[in-house]
Amino acid sequence: MFLALKELKYAKFRYVMMTTIIILIAWLVFILSGLGNGLATLSAATLKNIDAEYVVYEETAGATFAKSILSENLQDDLEKQKNVDKVAAFGASTIAVGKTKSKDADSKEDVALLGVEPDAFFMPEVIEGEKLSYDNKKGVVINDTLKEAGYKIGDILLVANSDMKLEVVGYVKGETYNHLPAIFTVLENWRDYQYAAPGSDNDTDKAVQAFFLKAPNLEDPSTIDKAVKDVETVTKKTAINGMPGYKEENGTIMMMLAFCIVISAFIIAVFFYVITMQKTQQFGVMKAIGASNGFIGKAIVAQVAILSVLGIVIGIVFTYLTAKILPEGMPFDLEPTLIITYAIVLLIIALLSSIVSVRQIVKIDPLTALGRVE
Amino acid sequence: MALLSLQNVSKSYKEGASTVQALKQATLEVEAGELVAIIGPSGSGKSTLLSIAGALLQMSEGTVEINGMNIVHLSAKQLASFRLKELGFILQTSNLVPYLNVLDQLLLVKKMGGKVTKDDKEFAKQLLTELGLSDKFKKMPNELSGGERQRVAIARAFMNNSKVILADEPTASLDSKRALEVVKLLAKEAKERNKAAIMVTHDERMLQFCDHVYRMEDGVLTQQS
Repeated sequence: MFLALKELKYAKFRYVMMTTIIILIAWLVFILSGLGNGLATLSAATLKNIDAEYVVYEETAGATFAKSILSENLQDDLEKQKNVDKVAAFGASTIAVGKTKSKDADSKEDVALLGVEPDAFFMPEVIEGEKLSYDNKKGVVINDTLKEAGYKIGDILLVANSDMKLEVVGYVKGETYNHLPAIFTVLENWRDYQYAAPGSDNDTDKAVQAFFLKAPNLEDPSTIDKAVKDVETVTKKTAINGMPGYKEENGTIMMMLAFCIVISAFIIAVFFYVITMQKTQQFGVMKAIGASNGFIGKAIVAQVAILSVLGIVIGIVFTYLTAKILPEGMPFDLEPTLIITYAIVLLIIALLSSIVSVRQIVKIDPLTALGRVE
Repeated sequence: MALLSLQNVSKSYKEGASTVQALKQATLEVEAGELVAIIGPSGSGKSTLLSIAGALLQMSEGTVEINGMNIVHLSAKQLASFRLKELGFILQTSNLVPYLNVLDQLLLVKKMGGKVTKDDKEFAKQLLTELGLSDKFKKMPNELSGGERQRVAIARAFMNNSKVILADEPTASLDSKRALEVVKLLAKEAKERNKAAIMVTHDERMLQFCDHVYRMEDGVLTQQS
């Protein structure tokens, strides 16, 4: 620590540059993970927000909502199962809405129409306006990002390619589905849209797509499959992965992050290696005087640790500042736990990379100290 | 008994297919309080001898005893701690650590062995004062003249209170006035502190301060005075 700090103080410029590199790398990793996480959230925020452990689909649906049709009558059966606390039905459609019967695509918004029971346990809190109710079957609560597009409480929404009309009664916050802002309506109304064509519901009575189960004590979901006919129960995580494109999108982002981290490991390792190599003579002298490899190695690791922690912390500050100036519509979502995880990963990588330099020190022959110009 | 004793030390290098005999049966003894000079032309084997005496290089044959301890069978790790405890090195100029001030240069030696005590600090200040550096404690090496730097190096060599001091061309980059001054100080410290000191040098003018002079030529060491 003694050597490490003294040198940092002395060769300020060199180590400011080194810290800058680490700041930039940390910044890049955090921004990338923030954007990636934001995108993932956008794609399935509503599902992620739902406080449920399991999702019940039709057995043949392969755990995707669009392929699944179940009868709402199953709700009672599901509720009777052991360890199941709450059950709520769910259905989703992608629709386009506009305030006028315009053919202009710009005046319409793509949204996800989500059918729920007004008293469903996972119904998000309405931040403004009224809740859903069977008294107003056409009523919808919409995600507040639609405010910016000019939709207000009381507006009548015309559903494209249908004669359906919806009335905005309230707002919810942070609810998106398949990257689209979510609008919630009662199941009955959703059913009118989704199964408008005769027979499209396979003659299912009160068709829905799936049920969410609040069942924190349920250990084996297959017990539900055995007890209730023709259903498949999966964890919520599986359900989210089953969202169209979710897995692929996440895979891409994780790949980018992984590359970013691997490359940064190399960059940090190479920079410290070069700095160490420049000091070969100096370390040779110290070893001649009697410094052990451990003494010099500790100084290097301490230096890497100090610079990395400093760089990563500044990188985090930069990330939050950047997030502040990012445009509103840009999905950016970075939780503290994620930040801490990546910060620790980066720190470990930096420390591991310093091993390359420390190995080099072991190889330095103290005899180099006697190197003379003869 | 001699503090530093080399008996029939030989060293040969492999250079391609042939073997180069860098040192042939060199024998050298240095008593406490003595400053011994080794002179000789370039490539004669002076630095090989110093490296062996300084536990930096293994000999091919012979024995080296430093302060009564035979160092032939020590491992690299043991040698490092042996150098720290038993040997003081004065290397060529510019071999100070560039980012440590004068006082820290000396304390570094103590840090390598563990902790720095208050007594160590006092001892370092005393050494530096004896060498005429009392007003330079906080100076960095690049703020010192060549002579001052070399005096710091001398102080550093004495810092661990080892019995044997090895100086490798301590006057190489100094003008003659400063060089004389530095060697005089080295001789004085060696005497006062009862150390065995060896100095490898090119400079025959320095020999007036030395108790014995050895000449090295083609790997053969002969005593001159």
